Amino acid sequence: MHELLSYLPEFANALLVTLGISLAAAWVGLVLGFGLNALRLALPGFGVIYRLYVWLIRGTPFLAQLAVVYFGLPIIGLRLEAVEASILSLALYSGAYFAELFRSAWASVPNGQLEAARVHGISRTLVFWHVQAPQAMAFALPLLGNQVILTIKESAVTSIITVPELTMTAGRIVSTTFSYVLPYALLVLSYWLLTSTVAAVARTLGQRMTRHLRG
Amino acid sequence: MSTLPLLELRGVGKSYGTHRVLSDFDLRVQAGEIVSLIGPSGSGKTTALRCMNFLERYDEGEVWIGGQLLGYSGIGRRESDRDSEAKVDEVRNPVSMVFQQFNLWPHMTVRENVMAPLVLGKRIAKPQARTLADQALARVGLSAKADAYPARLSGGQQQRVGIARALAVKPRLMLLDEPTSALDPELVEEVLQVIRSLADDGMTMVMVTHEMSFAAQISSQVVFMEAGRIVESGAPQPLFNTPETERLRQFLKPWFNRSLTPRTQVTP
Amino acid sequence: MMSDFSSRLAMYGPALFEGALTTLWLCTIGMLLGFVLGVVLHLLANGRSRAGVAFTRVYVSFFRGTPMLAQLLLLFYLPSAVGLDVPPMVAAAAALALNTAAYQSQILSSGFSAIPKGQMEAASVFALGRFNTLVHIQLPQVLRLTLPALISELIDVIKVSAVVSVISITDLMRVSQQLVSQTYRPLEVYLVAGVFYLALTSLLSLLGTVLERRWQERN
Repeated sequence: MHELLSYLPEFANALLVTLGISLAAAWVGLVLGFGLNALRLALPGFGVIYRLYVWLIRGTPFLAQLAVVYFGLPIIGLRLEAVEASILSLALYSGAYFAELFRSAWASVPNGQLEAARVHGISRTLVFWHVQAPQAMAFALPLLGNQVILTIKESAVTSIITVPELTMTAGRIVSTTFSYVLPYALLVLSYWLLTSTVAAVARTLGQRMTRHLRG
Repeated sequence: MSTLPLLELRGVGKSYGTHRVLSDFDLRVQAGEIVSLIGPSGSGKTTALRCMNFLERYDEGEVWIGGQLLGYSGIGRRESDRDSEAKVDEVRNPVSMVFQQFNLWPHMTVRENVMAPLVLGKRIAKPQARTLADQALARVGLSAKADAYPARLSGGQQQRVGIARALAVKPRLMLLDEPTSALDPELVEEVLQVIRSLADDGMTMVMVTHEMSFAAQISSQVVFMEAGRIVESGAPQPLFNTPETERLRQFLKPWFNRSLTPRTQVTP
Repeated sequence: MMSDFSSRLAMYGPALFEGALTTLWLCTIGMLLGFVLGVVLHLLANGRSRAGVAFTRVYVSFFRGTPMLAQLLLLFYLPSAVGLDVPPMVAAAAALALNTAAYQSQILSSGFSAIPKGQMEAASVFALGRFNTLVHIQLPQVLRLTLPALISELIDVIKVSAVVSVISITDLMRVSQQLVSQTYRPLEVYLVAGVFYLALTSLLSLLGTVLERRWQERN
């Protein structure tokens, strides 16, 4: 037990790594997803690329995608460190999910509003930002937190390429102390705490930001 | 000679929270009788009916089926006195029900709907259950539709399946909860005809209905309710022709111009 | 070069195919067990026992709020702490089942609540009994209602199952890793593995869409 306590600092550090790569990837993914959706709406031809991208990412396991980025890209000359590859993969992965999130958010705005704006000569760009975005974002806000949680969960997979995050660290503690249950129990509890906190934060933020809409 | 009534309610009442929906409900039903419960919406007639087979848990009074107390082990009526589901099923075994919304099971064929209570409820072997089901379906005139699914049938046909299902278990008492209220007007008559023929065969029934002339024709007893209480009750001929209470007079106004001809009482 | 590629593909195609079969097999068992468990969780969540309701809430929160990999590791190493030796396949199937049950219970619950109460009253009046009502009245309809969502869940299970490779189960992912260490061609191998996964998930997705369209037509 003493031995385990001495590992606590390392574990706390690993928690920060998990948070760090998850939030970094989620942030990039959010921007990427937003951009993909915007492009889909702006350029008629882009829809094919959009659908292809989403299909590839959502139809395969994240582990396979990570493996392609970390092990496969060096073959064509792009060699990345484990952490870099992880953030890149996670960002590409969550980007597809964010894109779909924004797609359904934009679809939730009644088409009639778009038509009314166009009929009055308002450009598509202005419509996007001033008519659709506010309503779509109100729709999307509660769901963004959930996607962040999914990213945190998926980050556990990066332990396989030895990123010093929570899962890998727990495994290291197990292999050096030969106690199995406590480290892994602590591991799941840490994730549970992380995701529950994010869920609570997202809920409160969401309520605060949409208060003005609920009248 | 007094015989044990098939169904007896003494001072039955029910509340939803602080709202009392039924009070002091008394009724005695002998074999072969037809009782109609009439009254405006919210009068508690459906609640009273549903207390009779414990679909609603009454919290005052007693319901006796064939001399057995329904739903509780003693007259105290506390939560702890509540009977097990098996005991409730046992006591209400002789009672079956026809529902306003038919309540057929959509993923089963007509025949399977009628067989289910026999096979799954009474544990009758499938071949016998099938025969009984087919007999019941013939009785309501739907043999041709035995293999169809309920969605394909008209409302009147679906309700007749519901009646067949209630009939196949050979009940001693049938409860009917506004059997024609959910039907288009042109489909009402076919269902009333089936109910009438069951009455002619001596089936004991308690029915909640808005079909006044029908109630006048087939009932042996009519109970008029309002605000959860019995206002007036008795044989149909005096009740419909010379109502004693003003409330009943008001209620019957729409039907006063047409003649409600009650049948002569068939002595049980 | 193309003939090189196709000859290499012929070489490791069969191995990958076997890995895919292991993945499918594992996921199907996990899904089926998870279904039964999901029904149990639904019954607990809607039952009369307050402990049951609380338990389900904690269970669902836990299995939906933690990564599959962490659940798998915990479940794999937990038995050894009490001296039991659990084969990896059993641990993996159990972990998948416990995980998917949390999601399936939510899917099934919405199916259960879509069945009109009147049908349950009729079942009660005709003394079918709780078990018969569940099996003969509710489940057939729940399955019909939730099949597209369940297929979506199966797709998720297949994707999530890739992590069982870390406890040495020769699923599609692990076979890929082995092939990479033999052929030193990670990009190729992992891309082909990706194609295999894509084929699996896309076929299932198509099945789900077809079924969903058939339901719309029927209604």
